[in-house]
Amino acid sequence: MAIARKWFTQIAITVFAAISFMLAAPYTVAADLGRVEASHSSATLHSEYATAAAGETVWLGLELNPRAGWHSYWKNYGDSGAAPLFYWTLPDGVVAGEALYPTPHRMPIGPLMNYGYEEPSVLLVPLVIAENYKGPSIPITLDVEWLVCEIECVPQDGKWNTEIAVSQLQIDPSATSIFRAARTALPEMAIWSADLNIYPAQSRLKIHVSESEVSGVTEAYFYPEGEGVAEYAAEQQWSITSEGLFVDMERLEGGIEATDGKGVLVLTFEDGTNRAVEVDAMLIQDPATASSGNTPSVHAALPLWQAIVFALLGGMVLNLMPCVFPVLSLKAFSFIAAKSKTEAGRKQEGWAYTAGIWVSFMIIVAVLLAIKSGGAAIGWGFQLQEPAFVGSLVLLMLLVALSLSGMFNITIGVEGAGQGLASKDGNKGAFFQGVLAALVATPCTAPLMAPAIGYALTQPAPTVFLIFSMLAFGLALPFLALSYSPTLAKMMPRPGPWMEKLKEALAFPMYLTAAWLLYVFNLQAGATATLVILVALIAAVFGVWIWQSFSGRISRGVAVLFMVGAVASIIYQPFSVPLGTAVQENNDIQPYSEAKLAELLDEGETVFAYFTAEWCITCKVNEQVALFTDDTQALFAENNIRLLKGDWTNRNDEIANLLADYGRAGVPLYLLFPKGQSEAIILPEILTPGIIADAIRDIK
Amino acid sequence: MKLATALVASVAFSLALQSAPSSGSHAPDFTATTIIGEKISLSGLRGKPVVLEWTNHQCPYVRKHYSSGNMQKTQRALTEGGAVWISIISSAPGKQGYVSATEAQQLTTARGSYADHVVLDPGGIIGKLYGAKTTPHMFIVDESGTLLYQGAIDDIPSASRRSLKDATNLVLAAWADMVAGTPVRRPATKPYGCTVKYSDIDE
Repeated sequence: MAIARKWFTQIAITVFAAISFMLAAPYTVAADLGRVEASHSSATLHSEYATAAAGETVWLGLELNPRAGWHSYWKNYGDSGAAPLFYWTLPDGVVAGEALYPTPHRMPIGPLMNYGYEEPSVLLVPLVIAENYKGPSIPITLDVEWLVCEIECVPQDGKWNTEIAVSQLQIDPSATSIFRAARTALPEMAIWSADLNIYPAQSRLKIHVSESEVSGVTEAYFYPEGEGVAEYAAEQQWSITSEGLFVDMERLEGGIEATDGKGVLVLTFEDGTNRAVEVDAMLIQDPATASSGNTPSVHAALPLWQAIVFALLGGMVLNLMPCVFPVLSLKAFSFIAAKSKTEAGRKQEGWAYTAGIWVSFMIIVAVLLAIKSGGAAIGWGFQLQEPAFVGSLVLLMLLVALSLSGMFNITIGVEGAGQGLASKDGNKGAFFQGVLAALVATPCTAPLMAPAIGYALTQPAPTVFLIFSMLAFGLALPFLALSYSPTLAKMMPRPGPWMEKLKEALAFPMYLTAAWLLYVFNLQAGATATLVILVALIAAVFGVWIWQSFSGRISRGVAVLFMVGAVASIIYQPFSVPLGTAVQENNDIQPYSEAKLAELLDEGETVFAYFTAEWCITCKVNEQVALFTDDTQALFAENNIRLLKGDWTNRNDEIANLLADYGRAGVPLYLLFPKGQSEAIILPEILTPGIIADAIRDIK
Repeated sequence: MKLATALVASVAFSLALQSAPSSGSHAPDFTATTIIGEKISLSGLRGKPVVLEWTNHQCPYVRKHYSSGNMQKTQRALTEGGAVWISIISSAPGKQGYVSATEAQQLTTARGSYADHVVLDPGGIIGKLYGAKTTPHMFIVDESGTLLYQGAIDDIPSASRRSLKDATNLVLAAWADMVAGTPVRRPATKPYGCTVKYSDIDE
């Protein structure tokens, strides 16, 4: 850093310094060592001490003050720019140390990121004076080159030729405030030990700190001092666990080798304050876990409150998803019917509905956790991987639909519409509508829900229940709000004969849901099992019909027998033939496996991997509107993008693991691996042809 | 719905990320029309080493290397050694360093450049393909199409000509390693200088 130079003439400097002094005098109170007005910034050299002494260290401060809108740079300038360069000429026995920089800021500039200062900054430089230094003063010749940029960059140059008297060490009182402020702006000295793990395409900073010391942190960002640690423009992920604080950074695979674990960690707290701490991490190249070439999964860095908010919003959005809509319509229907109810009655029903959803979610989650703890790799929607469950849902949907069509009334649930308006059964009905809503909601992953569920499933059980409770609450919220607000309720239409017609009309979405589930069942269990289930469905309907038509004990017994037999045959599935993989939409698509993906990436191919399931409506919609359009397929062909399909219709550990790696617990998931890179770009859960096209264009 | 916006923004952000090639890997192919209307492609130059130089004649760091003759000296050494030198201008229209083909031709002549080709890349397509961040930003591709070097032209990040005396020219050093048949000792270095003035860099 301190490259001494003596090539400019002494006279020029003296004149320059004199002018600087004259310029500086009226503006600054401190007796500084000279101010330089450069084209786009000014620079002032300060000394903390009026007189220095042999054997001591005195501090100089270089104050850089860029013009409004312009910025100067930190020692690591990020993607572009340049750090200040100091050229010292000092007498023997005096050595200038490395400059200390204030905590920098991030300054994004288009696709790039710079680190630096948009405000005045003071760089502190120590001058170390030898014990045996004899001179009456220390002559200092300093030449600084610093860069300021707005969009365009203008290098600035400043020269100082000055001296500090040597006698007894004495502070310059007029400089105290400047140096105090400068020291406050520095990051704190390293107080925590840290490791910096360098993986091929990622690096992970681990700060050994207890959770209580960093409680209330809302953001953590690491400014690496050395090159090769992070891609500056990429977002950093952070998390706090019992092991410490982690910051995950993307890095360019095969780029500059990381050789330095130093940097500055900036923590932002709930109250908006920042704490900047120096980090001197031990550099660990390619830790053992990365020896297979895999990078570790990014920590699910979603803070709890955010996961809760996502779960709530996700639950609300779920109301609009195609698989929930039929049940939603049912609920809307019973709400209209409830018009004449008392306010208290409406509120009760609202809560009964909420409870129905909540209880169902809790049961599903409890089962999920129980299976998970048994070691099986499963995730959200797992119940639909079970043909017995899908078959039962078909039966349920069919019965509800028939009831709506007016064939019969099921007395446990959805009868409330036309009659018994004030009956206490209304609550029970609302409860079971809630159950129904929760059951059919499971295959739908609404936007915002995926990160919350993905997060939840990596957390301890209480957190999981909390997140799913919020999800349940979100799903119930629109109707709960309706049952509480008379204003909203008044906006609903009057009950009347039209309701019978509406009821019949609303049966059709239910039939369609049943048809779709039957299709899923067929793929899961095969044609013979489908025939069995069709027969079972007819038998069940026959049983219901007998029950309705005859009131004798024997006929009731026969009816029950038929229904139990139907349900049993659906659950036991005597002729079920599990299929390995489902039908492929396109011959060029290969089934996903870790090995296949690795093989293609090794060959330097660009790979688009999509993870889907027959029971995932969001996936199917995406495939129809975005993935399997002619344009998108042409785009894939044109760019030689290889397609891998991960089918999660039935249970598959390899896919469950991959989903977990990306912090997900369910499908859909869309990954674009640029040419041979193991680091994928994650596409959103709701795809459009434009999103795919943009992503492909961006990696070209 | 600030959160939702944030989520959408973060998704959009991840899509915008560049994935620059790494040294030792295959250099991504591109085709381009030069300022004199010639069609060239990287794959078409296979068999010869290729040097890519990102440039912006108004950038003080570029000016330093041209006004001192350092860039021309480097160009001459490498082109005489058999390399094809391509100067690339990725400044978007209206941004600093953007030039028409005629202006680029004049600049090339006036600066006494030894570049074999000058390519205008106002859309930033080649720039982003290579992850070019600064001017100057240098890349060396060997005869077989492997990226051997990327980074700064030298090791003193200064805009001042007097820094040249003490600087090590990293492009010449990488070239010397390649000619000697030894692995390039510093295959990637941190580039310094002005930001490449892509179209998405806003005032």
